[in-house]
Amino acid sequence: MNALSLVLFQTGLSLKLNFRNRMAVIYGYLFPLIFLVAFWVIWRNDEVPLALHLGQLLTVTVLGGACFGLPTTLVSERERGVWRRYAITPAPVWVFIASLLAARYVLLLTAALLQLAVGFAFGMPLPLHPLSLLAAFTVASVAFIGFGLVIAMLADTVPAVQALGQCIFLPMLMVGGVAVPLSTLPDWAQHISAFFPGRYAVEAMQAAVTGRGLTGTGFDLAALLLIGTAGALAAAMMFRWDGGERFSARPGKAWLLLAVGMWIAVGVVAEMHGQVRAIDAVDTEAVPKVGDFRAPAIPMPASWEAVTAADFDAIAFDRLPPDGGIVAPIAAPDEAPDPQVAERIANIDAALDHWRPGMVADPVQRVRNWLSVLAVPDVLQMEQMEKFLPPLVFTRLREMFGDPDLAKLLYWVAMHPEGGDDTAMRHLEALGLPAISGPMQKPRARVMLYAFKFLKRLRAKGMR
Amino acid sequence: MAARGVRLSIQGLGKRYGKQEAVRGISLDVAAGEIVGLLGPNGAGKTTTLECILGLRRPDAGTISVCGIDALKAPRQAHARIGVVLQQTGLPDKITPREALAQFARLYGAHQDGEVLLARFGLLEKADGLYETLSGGQKQRLALALAFAGNPAVLLLDEAAAGLDVGMRRALHDDMRAMRAEGRALLIATHDMSEAMELCDRIAVLHRGRIVAEGAPDAVIGAHTSLEDAILALTGTALADSGR
Repeated sequence: MNALSLVLFQTGLSLKLNFRNRMAVIYGYLFPLIFLVAFWVIWRNDEVPLALHLGQLLTVTVLGGACFGLPTTLVSERERGVWRRYAITPAPVWVFIASLLAARYVLLLTAALLQLAVGFAFGMPLPLHPLSLLAAFTVASVAFIGFGLVIAMLADTVPAVQALGQCIFLPMLMVGGVAVPLSTLPDWAQHISAFFPGRYAVEAMQAAVTGRGLTGTGFDLAALLLIGTAGALAAAMMFRWDGGERFSARPGKAWLLLAVGMWIAVGVVAEMHGQVRAIDAVDTEAVPKVGDFRAPAIPMPASWEAVTAADFDAIAFDRLPPDGGIVAPIAAPDEAPDPQVAERIANIDAALDHWRPGMVADPVQRVRNWLSVLAVPDVLQMEQMEKFLPPLVFTRLREMFGDPDLAKLLYWVAMHPEGGDDTAMRHLEALGLPAISGPMQKPRARVMLYAFKFLKRLRAKGMR
Repeated sequence: MAARGVRLSIQGLGKRYGKQEAVRGISLDVAAGEIVGLLGPNGAGKTTTLECILGLRRPDAGTISVCGIDALKAPRQAHARIGVVLQQTGLPDKITPREALAQFARLYGAHQDGEVLLARFGLLEKADGLYETLSGGQKQRLALALAFAGNPAVLLLDEAAAGLDVGMRRALHDDMRAMRAEGRALLIATHDMSEAMELCDRIAVLHRGRIVAEGAPDAVIGAHTSLEDAILALTGTALADSGR
């Protein structure tokens, strides 16, 4: 039997034994679901519960499985002489370690898939970049499994694993950008978080869920790979088969410095390259209102057809957020999306031809529905998607209504952000976009902003 | 000895833990079809010697050869020829004897029939029971069965009869005789004088890391009334007092 098939056999056996262990199953699968529910409860007021926090949730799952599950299993078996018995077989050492790591990765991945499946069942949107998410999840697993091995080498007993694991787990949850979003933490905590791998895992996975995939996550992935590799190497050099052999009594303890030193090195490089800036808060921003852009004393026209140039003149367009900002962005004419985003936008463009909410008879509702296609990616911070879709929709609306009527309709929609029907926002799956289900105040405000911005563009084109 | 074919050869073995010399220049050969007993009080160096043979401890001096293979340079190749029952080893709680035998057959790259071993060591009834549910005796029998998974030329048994009832102990002794008859070389560490007298072709008495007497049991007993008396005279410690 060659070594690879031996690894596969050992991995399969490890998994089989794991599933016979009730506590391991509870720890490996029930706890991640409990975290899912907890996150759901905490972020229940998001427009899409969990979508903006999936990176955090998956990081908690990997962290728990790697920093507790893996070393607990290894140390427990070492204490009972299982590894001592393996050590005197002819199979190479790496076969056992590779099998252990492969089995742990499968357990982490299946726990994450279970979380995602339950999340989807409750309306969480599909990740924008599933393969990127798998890649980021795998790299995060490498990082934490590597450090889980270090814990297993440091700890002489299972209680020691729990103590050491908590020393890593809790700080990372609280000030490491894992359980508590970095943007809500004080500045000092954001700097501390740069020295913990948790934030890099969160950022890489969240980018795959609602961002640009792996684009722009190079530092995060490199940091995780370096931390994981250093941990695995240090653990291999400190490896011990025998439960009777104490960590304090064995040589090679200096290898621990490599594992810990890599965390510090990554943090220092992050500080030097300005990588510690927190992702901007997306859920605590103030929701803009009509009154921010138009004086309330000015009388409202009776209908959209009655809107005049004087009404347009009363709008403070200069108060709108910049097109290059985070809220209601619009790509500049010379900007081009990444090829994969361009492909998705082309698919959305094609799907819009048959999108029923985009064909409703009422012109006001139709404009509102078209703008909701922009509002949802914007609220979800779908980076490139949110800024490259507006030009497409703007062109479609101009073709559909002509500039004079479109200006009036946009004005009307902008002036009535709470009016009309918002069910289109809950049915964007046909376009390959996530549908949202939570409070609608913020996406409705984005509809208003895009209406104002499009109106501003029409005015700039000389339409009065 | 050479004519009978030496399977295990230890020459000048030394091992120290800090300032304490656990093994001091032990030399010992075990031939095919021979059972050699390592006797001595606790701390005499028996387990350390076995652990050095198996690569669990790195000796500070000496050489170890298993079937002509340098066990210090090629431990994995040596392990392929050794069957082991060691103290302080175990298996995962949730594994069954049948699965463990299948696993070890693969680890040893052997084609031993697990069912034959289950039957030979009286484990057929518990073949699908979890390891954590086995009695101490059943676990010991499984350890013996696993020692056979690789069809070994050399067997190292450290207190292999510990935890077995009288019937199983007798069966184990029969097995060991059968192993000897099959041409295997057995090195056993034991506190059990009757076991040593009954089974061993030769015994080596260890005291403070040295072999203080070696030879056929009768030769070691010499002018003493029993093996226990001889060991007491050689080491100043009765094995019965040194515990297990």
